[in-house]
Amino acid sequence: MTALLEVRQLTRTFGALAAVAGVSFSVRQGELVGLIGPNGAGKSTLYNLIAGAIAPTSGEIVFQDRPVAGWKPYQAARAGVARTFQIPKPYRHLSVLENVALSAMLHDRTVAAACESAQAILTDVGLADYVDAPVGNLTVGLLKRLEVARALALRPSLVLFDEIMAGLTPSEVRGMTNLVAGLPARGITVIWVEHVLYAIMKTAPRIMVLHRGELIADAAPEVLVKDPAVIKAYLGEEMSLA
Amino acid sequence: MDAAPLTSKRRTGRWRLLPERGTISLFELLLLAICLVLVAVPLPQYLQDVLIQTFLWAGLALAWNIAGGFAGLISFGHAAFFGIGAYTSSILAANYGLTPWIGLWIGGALAAAFGAVLTLVCARLRGPFFILSTLAAAEVVRIAALNWAALTGGAEGFSILPIASIANMVFESKTTYAALMLGYFLLIYVITKAVEGSRYGYYLFAARDDEEAASAAGVNPLLARTGAMCLSAFLAGIGGSLFAQYFLFLDPTHVISPELSFQFALLPALGGLGTAIGPVLGSFVITPLSELLRSYFGGAGAGLHLAIYGAVLVVVMLYFPSGIAGALQRLAERGRKGAP
Repeated sequence: MTALLEVRQLTRTFGALAAVAGVSFSVRQGELVGLIGPNGAGKSTLYNLIAGAIAPTSGEIVFQDRPVAGWKPYQAARAGVARTFQIPKPYRHLSVLENVALSAMLHDRTVAAACESAQAILTDVGLADYVDAPVGNLTVGLLKRLEVARALALRPSLVLFDEIMAGLTPSEVRGMTNLVAGLPARGITVIWVEHVLYAIMKTAPRIMVLHRGELIADAAPEVLVKDPAVIKAYLGEEMSLA
Repeated sequence: MDAAPLTSKRRTGRWRLLPERGTISLFELLLLAICLVLVAVPLPQYLQDVLIQTFLWAGLALAWNIAGGFAGLISFGHAAFFGIGAYTSSILAANYGLTPWIGLWIGGALAAAFGAVLTLVCARLRGPFFILSTLAAAEVVRIAALNWAALTGGAEGFSILPIASIANMVFESKTTYAALMLGYFLLIYVITKAVEGSRYGYYLFAARDDEEAASAAGVNPLLARTGAMCLSAFLAGIGGSLFAQYFLFLDPTHVISPELSFQFALLPALGGLGTAIGPVLGSFVITPLSELLRSYFGGAGAGLHLAIYGAVLVVVMLYFPSGIAGALQRLAERGRKGAP
């Protein structure tokens, strides 16, 4: 099976700092891949590169057999790459429904059709009760779900989730985990950055570990927890104490 | 700040009382009826003059609002578009005998082109920096118009021959002008409502609220913004042409002044930024107020009308931060909660 996304020797420097340094990996259609690493490891930069928010210093990004490094975010979205933002970025003056409908408008020709699509997705992510609410009234947890809803409303083939569990209660984490786990079956390939490790370890069959801009591991979760380099870089003392 | 947003439970088959995005309300129809009656009934000349100014400014404020309210491109330079429109149609008529009925579209197109260049050049500027650049651009246009005397008449001004005829777009009766300005205002209102309820309108709101998120949702923010400024400038330019045909005299210090630019921004801000009805209410309250104050106090206590005008502005801004339209919406929400 050919890769949906292939990243080759991807590098992005900010001055003397290489936020992402020679990262290579590929993701197949229908995969659910976790991406973990300590703060500052370069996860968000990697997302920004793939989603077109910033251009790479060097290296290649191939999406659906097309070289796309340096594309613009709206080109990425139109090609089928959706993302969430670690710090939610809602449209402040629009309702929850309208926030999601805006993404649906990428494919729906009319506002009414987009609102219908948005309504269904909001029910999926558990925001059905907040459809008409102004976004200013939402808690962080609800805003995270709004981010997920907006990404899914783009009907992407690849979605990049960035810490969508932060601020959620354990039962909300369970609900969201189920939602994410079900995406590959719906034809949506997922890359998932998460600090809520128990959620990602249980759900993602494959996890990549980023440390100081480099990919130091790419394996199944049960292999990862025994990898000395990963333990040293990320899992750390907590893991050895436990 | 915005009109009542779209809700999931669209109460179809029932008239909305107050303005809402994507529909026409009873309030708007009532306002339209009042406008039509005011044009039709015989009024004293000076009141007709106030009416003409009010309609013109409602249109101009709506035009500004497409850029400033919908797209977040707060411009203090719209007088430039207004002036470009006014001078273009007037010069084409005087020098080439082209009827203003055609000239006004050319003026609008030139204003739109200027708006596009301005937006693209200032694409990276945000907030106060964008505002200052629009102010500066308008000053450049004003100074150019002052110095290019061969074309514009410079500081001495530019007169339009007061020969009444349909082809000249000069009329004997103020009623005709009132109807013309009402048509202009209604045209822009319809365009505004269409934009507000369309996908393009939502692209503008999104790019205004969060550019990064909008871009990640497939919206090209620069294209959306530039389009909004073009449309806004085009409509403001047409307003300039209409003003020229009514006032029959142009002078850069008046038609491209910063004061005029501020008025463009002030009316939507007071009426309710980013709504369709807001700029209309802004003009309907403020234009008559300023005109009537001027005529009552203009002669006696020089400057008194400006003091009262200023005081009213301060009060409105203090107590109605989301404009008159915002106050109306709060009233409606209170009413809805009170109802069973």
